[in-house]
Amino acid sequence: MAYPSMGEAHRRITDYLNKFCDAVSYQDVASLAQLFSFSSNSPSLLSLADALNFFQDANRLIKQSDKFSQFGEILAPLFRSLQSYRLGNLVEAYHAFEKFANAFIQEFRNWESAWALEALYAIAYEIRVLAERADRELSSNGKSPEKLKGAGSFLMKVFGVLAGKGPKRVGALYVTCQLFKIYFKLGTVHLCRSVIRSIETARIFDFEEFPRRDKVTYMYYTGRLEVFNENFPAADHKLSYALTHCNPLREANIRMILKYLIPVKLSLGILPKTCLLEKYNLLEYNDVVKALKRGDLRLLRHALQEHEDQFLRSGVYLVLEKLELQVYQRLVKKIYFIQKQKDPSKAHQLKLEVIVKALKWLEMDMDLDEVECIMTILIYKNLVKGYFAHKSKVVVLSKQDPFPKLNGKPVNS
Amino acid sequence: MMNQATNTQTLASVDPNAVENRYVVNANQGQTSLYVPSTTGSEAASWNMYRVENHPAESGSFSNSTYHHVQHSEPSSRTVQDGSNATSLATSSSLGAANTQPDYGGYTSYSNSAGTYSHGSAGYQGYYSGYQQQPNPSYSQPVGAYQNTGAPYQPISSFQNTGSYAGPTSYSSTYYNPGDYQTAGGYPSSSYTHQTTTWNGSNYANYTTQQYSNYTQDSSGAYAAGNAGANSLHYQQHYKQWADYYNQTEVSCAPGTENLSVVSTSTQLPQVSQVPGVSGGYPTSNSQAPTTFAPPWRPESSSSQTPLLQPGATVTGAYDSYRTHGAPSFQNQHPSPVQPHFVKPLESKSSYGNFQEQQKTACPQLPNLQYPVAQQAPQNYQPPTQTVQSLETQRVSKLQIQTNPRIASNLPLGLPKLDKEGPNNNAIAKPAYISVSLPKSSEKVLSNDAADTVLKAGVFPKSLKSYVQRALALCKDEKQSAACQEIMKEIITKATSDGTIHTRDWDAEPLFPIPNTDMTDKNNSQNPTPVSLFSKYKKSPTRRTKSRWEPLEEKSVDKLGSLNNYAAKYSSRVPLDEKDRKPIGASSEGKTDVMKKIRFPQMEQKSASKTIQRQAKRQRLADASAADNGDASSDSDKEQNLTAYYSGAIALANTPEERKRRENRSKRFEKVQGNRAESNHFKAKNAGTGNLYARRTTALVLSKSFEDGGNRAVEDIDWDALTVRGTCQEIEKRYLRLTSAPDPSTVRPEEVLEKALLMVQNSQKNYLYKCDQLKSIRQDLTVQRIRNHLTVKVYEAHARFALEVGDLPEYNQCQSQLKILYAEGIKGCHMEFAAYNLLCVIMHSNNNRDLLSSMSRLSAEAKKDQAVQHALAVRAAVTSGNYVLFFRLYKTAPNLNSCLMDLYVEKMRYKAVSCMSRSYRPQVPVSYIAQVLGFSNGVLTNEGSDEKESDGLEDCVDWLKAHGACLVVDSNGEMQLDAKVS
Repeated sequence: MAYPSMGEAHRRITDYLNKFCDAVSYQDVASLAQLFSFSSNSPSLLSLADALNFFQDANRLIKQSDKFSQFGEILAPLFRSLQSYRLGNLVEAYHAFEKFANAFIQEFRNWESAWALEALYAIAYEIRVLAERADRELSSNGKSPEKLKGAGSFLMKVFGVLAGKGPKRVGALYVTCQLFKIYFKLGTVHLCRSVIRSIETARIFDFEEFPRRDKVTYMYYTGRLEVFNENFPAADHKLSYALTHCNPLREANIRMILKYLIPVKLSLGILPKTCLLEKYNLLEYNDVVKALKRGDLRLLRHALQEHEDQFLRSGVYLVLEKLELQVYQRLVKKIYFIQKQKDPSKAHQLKLEVIVKALKWLEMDMDLDEVECIMTILIYKNLVKGYFAHKSKVVVLSKQDPFPKLNGKPVNS
Repeated sequence: MMNQATNTQTLASVDPNAVENRYVVNANQGQTSLYVPSTTGSEAASWNMYRVENHPAESGSFSNSTYHHVQHSEPSSRTVQDGSNATSLATSSSLGAANTQPDYGGYTSYSNSAGTYSHGSAGYQGYYSGYQQQPNPSYSQPVGAYQNTGAPYQPISSFQNTGSYAGPTSYSSTYYNPGDYQTAGGYPSSSYTHQTTTWNGSNYANYTTQQYSNYTQDSSGAYAAGNAGANSLHYQQHYKQWADYYNQTEVSCAPGTENLSVVSTSTQLPQVSQVPGVSGGYPTSNSQAPTTFAPPWRPESSSSQTPLLQPGATVTGAYDSYRTHGAPSFQNQHPSPVQPHFVKPLESKSSYGNFQEQQKTACPQLPNLQYPVAQQAPQNYQPPTQTVQSLETQRVSKLQIQTNPRIASNLPLGLPKLDKEGPNNNAIAKPAYISVSLPKSSEKVLSNDAADTVLKAGVFPKSLKSYVQRALALCKDEKQSAACQEIMKEIITKATSDGTIHTRDWDAEPLFPIPNTDMTDKNNSQNPTPVSLFSKYKKSPTRRTKSRWEPLEEKSVDKLGSLNNYAAKYSSRVPLDEKDRKPIGASSEGKTDVMKKIRFPQMEQKSASKTIQRQAKRQRLADASAADNGDASSDSDKEQNLTAYYSGAIALANTPEERKRRENRSKRFEKVQGNRAESNHFKAKNAGTGNLYARRTTALVLSKSFEDGGNRAVEDIDWDALTVRGTCQEIEKRYLRLTSAPDPSTVRPEEVLEKALLMVQNSQKNYLYKCDQLKSIRQDLTVQRIRNHLTVKVYEAHARFALEVGDLPEYNQCQSQLKILYAEGIKGCHMEFAAYNLLCVIMHSNNNRDLLSSMSRLSAEAKKDQAVQHALAVRAAVTSGNYVLFFRLYKTAPNLNSCLMDLYVEKMRYKAVSCMSRSYRPQVPVSYIAQVLGFSNGVLTNEGSDEKESDGLEDCVDWLKAHGACLVVDSNGEMQLDAKVS
């Protein structure tokens, strides 16, 4: 690598310092944010990093003029972080960056207006990404990765700065979303609760006033949380909100949302079109949907098994598993229709043996007791209207709407 | 917290007028006025007493300001230590700052809690320097008061005068008293330094060096108590010191002791409140002045009025004391403690009668409590910190636990002082005690304070206390007392670990050949015995504490009992410490873990602060080499206590880190053991004490270094070099929790352990026996750091036994340990336990995320395992509610899966029946239900003879009836479940 000359390095550094000071004094947030975004790997930042590594005594430059030295607390760790970042020492870079970020927040607090929010976003994003990478570095060295946790607590601090009244509150949701990302990654989802509470209980600030992208992200994560809690109507609402408000061109985002929304909708009795699954490459749900349509228990189980790892990781496995009852319902319904065609007068009396036979045909080996149990559960959960006569082993279906549709309501549990 | 709040409120209710009244009564107003500026500035709690005096002198209203001020100073120190306290204090402190500064005028520098109080008074500067570092503003203020008032005080200094001051002054009287009795200048200064040290912690060195090495110990103990408690502890220490002063300086030992005891009582009450929060700690510390302190704090948060009220109460108490007791000053002290306790009942009533009653109650308690109180108070403080984090029950237990170590330390402190100045005390002490009606006071206190006080009181074992006190009594100097404290700690911890605490007759213990049979088991006979003891030993206060505690203990025990089974066992005489520890370990390991975590940071902080303080002290003290040692020892003692406590809590946990710590602890105790052996000789031989002391200090240093270095340093220790190799050949060994370094002669080597495991596995004895044996095997393995297939086998065996009897806590211990062992690649029945783990998650945590994560963690290979498959099938059955499948799986469960399923059977059955009753029409035969729900042949699969079938049917009927099902007999005589009605 060709090192820049001393003068060149000096020029680049002072250039950067000037840019920073100008951005602050003119409140030019766009260029300020650019100065922080390491992960953009912009050539100007990279060359600056080289210059810093070459020109070791950047702090002297900062101290030289009053203009720079008033931001010395911010700039010195920023330079150090950039140096380490360039050298690939991400842990060091993270440490310095956190120091820088703390100093910046201190400064940010003193600024009355919220002009620097974008810069703060950049920092929140960078610190998260940096922490993730630093953790990767740590764990590859056999050390315990803890930087992301540190970034989480730092962002909590940022959240505290933003969450009050005033114009800065607009930025709170962005930080919240970054926090969600961290918590979901760390598996410490329970920590989300406090943040959510402070967002949702704040009456002074209408949720709709937050930037749209943040709203979408927020709804996506809270929707996922509801999936975990198996609170399907709420999950449906949140994920649908995210879907309708997200940028339709961002297919990756839409896919992420659909990944959770589809199982939720399925468990509410709403099936997606195949073309939707194809468009967003969610074919793992294809068989599940088919099984639901056909009442094909075997297919459902097979699909679950095939994609088990995937479903387990994304956390929808249990949701999909619960579709089994709907598959049973569909099966019974089919049997009912067939009987009706044959003999409408006795159609509402389903013999247990018939169901067992149908399941056998699906290679589901279940005996009478078990099927009886399933039927009672179906009745219990209001998927089938009717009653079960134990003595004669017959399911007596209601003559009116024996198979109520879910219509967006979750299965009783 | 709630308790505290209530207390404060009650206190608040007390009328400020009462305070004023006192003043009126007291002729000292003029003097008090002098004090006012200084005292007001000075402290919160003890100072409250002062305040009362001061307030009257100045004005009824300003009491608030003074309180604030006091609070302010305290808060600052507290804030440093305790975050939680800090917040509440901070608010108050701010107020106080504004108010106090004017008062101080020249002392304004004090007002800055920062710790650097530049005192203008030349004479006191040295002392103050100590103060300055540790910003006990309140203390500094008093100091200032002394300086200023120096002249006035001396005249007043006569105790009687102080008495005239009323309760409030009682504390002040201590300050003043020093001046009176001893040379006013030197004494007060020393006393102050002590106080300051207590406050600051760093000041300790100063203390000890000057005169009150004993005090320093106390204070150190207080420090040890915990960061959170630190403030409160300091207060307590101060109080203790005060008490000590009283005893020492004042000929009227009895009053002094009474005061102390009062303080202790008050501390107890506050402690109760403290348990919830740090603030509670303050009150306790105040106990002498404690109550006053507590009020100030509370007032801060709640309102300034409360402080005033408290003073008023104290005043009234003082009145009573005056009447009842010859020494007003003492009385005053009593009232002050009383106030916190009684505040509620007495509240603001100016009527003397009420006050007197209160005083009485307080007094009785006080005598008993006196020294013990001091101990308790520190203990209490620690508990609060712990408790805050832990659950309530845990809090109690924790608190108690902490108290044990501290008690030991505290007792010694009190004793040394007594020893020095003991002669006077004896005579006086008796009368004081007599005057106080212990039973009454205790009862009243109990009723007033409610459960909280009881709990706290319960912490201390009576007999054990007496034992400790006796031991301390034997000590003739500080060193001895320190060494004695150490020994006592060890003994107690050992006893607790052995479980012999309950059984052991402390009165008859060899260390203390004192022939006081009375001491044992006396709840009510306390008064006479203490007196006799005192007369003999001239250390009556300590014993009395025992006697008084006894009634309290009983109540506390009862409460504890409700909380823990263990408590019930111990209730008769069990030392509180033991109770606490055991319950914690047995019932709530998870909690203890939490506790540990919490404590560790505290510990670190403490140690750090201590070291800093010490350094400062040393610099200051040119001639304090001996004193320093004393301080160091006391500090280290406290630390040791804490560490011991930790280790005890940790001992139950199985993680490797914990083990390491355990080892660490055991190492630390190696020396201790040696000392212990000598402990018997100790009392007789004064000369020997020196050696012991030296050893102790080294041991302490060791332990300190461990703690100071933070727990991180633990990894750097060469564990291999410390590993024990057992030589014991006994196959059978009872489990005793280690409280000292393992003795190779009692540790079994691996071969023997293998035999022992076989023996246990083939044993026909009950689970308790097996559990005991297996625990001892596990201990020996841990101590020798054996981690191999045998370790896995032992844990697996234990886990299975535990499962068989449904002992989930024990099972969880083993499971978590096994997880680690498996992760280390040691072969075992990994799959079997993976299945158990899965079942556990399914059955006992309603957390889908946990379930998902444990499912996704299963390897493909694991999923092929029969047991794991079974577990997965069970999961599917549970999630779908398929009861038929569930009970089929239940009957075919491999290994001990059925044992875990047992725990879910009830739920499943209930769900099934509610489902059936909704789905079936018109009826379901019970026989079918019994069959489907696994009644017919329970765990024993496929052995359903006809007899069993009918048994199962009957069981089923019973069960259904018990759950409100409606059964009908149909035409065939078959029992039917009427689905519609059910």
